[in-house]
Amino acid sequence: MSTHMWALYAREVKRFQKIWMDTVLSPIVSVGLYLGVFGVVATGRTIGELPYVTFIYAGLLAMIVINSSFSNPAFALIIAKNVGNIIDLQIVPIPAWRIGIAYALAAFTRSVTTLVVALAITAWFIPAFSIVHPIYFILGLFMTGLEFGMLGVVFGFLAKSFETLTFMTTFIMQPMIFLAGVFYPVATLPHPWSVISLFNPLHHNVNLLRFTLTGYSDFNPALSATAIVLCAIIFFIAMQVIASRKIRA
Amino acid sequence: MLPLTVKQVTKIFKNQSGATFKALDSVSVSIQPGTIFGLLGPNGAGKSTLINLISGIMLPDQGSVEIFGVNVATQTERAKQLLGVVPQEIVMEMAFSVEEVLYYFGGMYGVLRSERKARIRQVLVDLGLEDKAGERARNLSGGMKRRLMIAKAILHRPKLLILDEPTAGVDVSLRQKIWGLVRRLSEEGTTVLFTTHYLEEAEKLCDSITLINHGRVIKEGKLKDIQREFSENSIHFELFDPAAPVLVGAIAVGSEFEYPLKNLAVDMAAITAHYGTNLKSIRSEAASLEHIFLKLTNDTL
Repeated sequence: MSTHMWALYAREVKRFQKIWMDTVLSPIVSVGLYLGVFGVVATGRTIGELPYVTFIYAGLLAMIVINSSFSNPAFALIIAKNVGNIIDLQIVPIPAWRIGIAYALAAFTRSVTTLVVALAITAWFIPAFSIVHPIYFILGLFMTGLEFGMLGVVFGFLAKSFETLTFMTTFIMQPMIFLAGVFYPVATLPHPWSVISLFNPLHHNVNLLRFTLTGYSDFNPALSATAIVLCAIIFFIAMQVIASRKIRA
Repeated sequence: MLPLTVKQVTKIFKNQSGATFKALDSVSVSIQPGTIFGLLGPNGAGKSTLINLISGIMLPDQGSVEIFGVNVATQTERAKQLLGVVPQEIVMEMAFSVEEVLYYFGGMYGVLRSERKARIRQVLVDLGLEDKAGERARNLSGGMKRRLMIAKAILHRPKLLILDEPTAGVDVSLRQKIWGLVRRLSEEGTTVLFTTHYLEEAEKLCDSITLINHGRVIKEGKLKDIQREFSENSIHFELFDPAAPVLVGAIAVGSEFEYPLKNLAVDMAAITAHYGTNLKSIRSEAASLEHIFLKLTNDTL
């Protein structure tokens, strides 16, 4: 990584570190609340042999990774547009594709940071929880973090205002996250929803990360991994095209 | 190799109704090394568009921009590396400290970590911000923020420094400091391009100027040559009642009138005869840049 790109990456990491209560702690509190509620409501329930709380815990961790990596570049870019310091990106001698990658890597860093803190704080309270496939978990985490970091860059560059970005987040990202099988196995949905869910790219991230964490999956994890790689390639191309166009006034 | 060569640049924009207009129309500009160059023009003349094209923020529809022979459109990053840009608006990472703003921005221009801290200390001293290194950028006064913007632009030691209205909204003392810095950078070999609304500033600082209006260059050259050209060719006069019928050939320039000079004695006599006691003052002296500017743009600042 060149000095130029590294400095941009480091600046974006520093940005989320400066507001860690919002960027790191807040998602963990949300996970704690979900676990508190579902832990009480679904005591004794299992999904296959997996305690339900452990099932949703893995899904919530995947949600943290997706949300954190998506939000970091999307909101950093829209704030830069609003404040006006997007001009910094326009005048510095860094090609648009490297700017996109620096933002996506910073997003990945935030998602890993949040995940590690979340695991350190909450994993002790989850029954029968361990990372079953640690190598695959790291790979899945890397792909998911980068994938949604790149999508965040795309949304951040495309959104013209905070309202547009909030609209995109509320009406596109959030429904897709909740329909991705975080709280239930997609296979238990009635037809045609169980099939439609397979076309939700987020389902594959949740499914793969859950499989690597708990060993449980409701869809072939290898196919989910393939879907993630395909999505990452698509988001990468979209990021390069959009960043190149939008970086110029 | 010239620091800046703008050749026949045209930039076309679409307005909200879909109609197109030329923000810049076949504009050509060149700057000599180590000089201070003023880009002047009324609001909407096309100055910012030209700055954006030179900075690589926009691409021209026609023509080319070269920074030290490097084409901005085809070798964008190489060209940007040679530039330092101080935008007109005060914009920065408000959550970061002054030192952090400079640290990351310097890095984004490739200044190595090993030398970045020393350079930051130097520019902070140069701009009188050494006591503010740890202060959050958002807590700085307007003048200090302006200085920080300049510090950001000079940290990587650009060969061509672009200042877009650097003294807008700053007090007299800071303006003097900025002028001093610009002069010093110029003496050290940095070529400086700046835009300003303060024509007095351009007069004091610039070696050469280009006046643009409605997207076209209307005058360019060394300031002294332009002043000589205008002062040798016109008589200035003021009237008690400016609404009086205007002498044929005279034009209003601000609160004054200007009359093309052919023969000093004959022309003075003609003006005196036409206006009589309505004549408040009359002179033929070196034209100020403001007069030249107003005459050429036929506009008001």
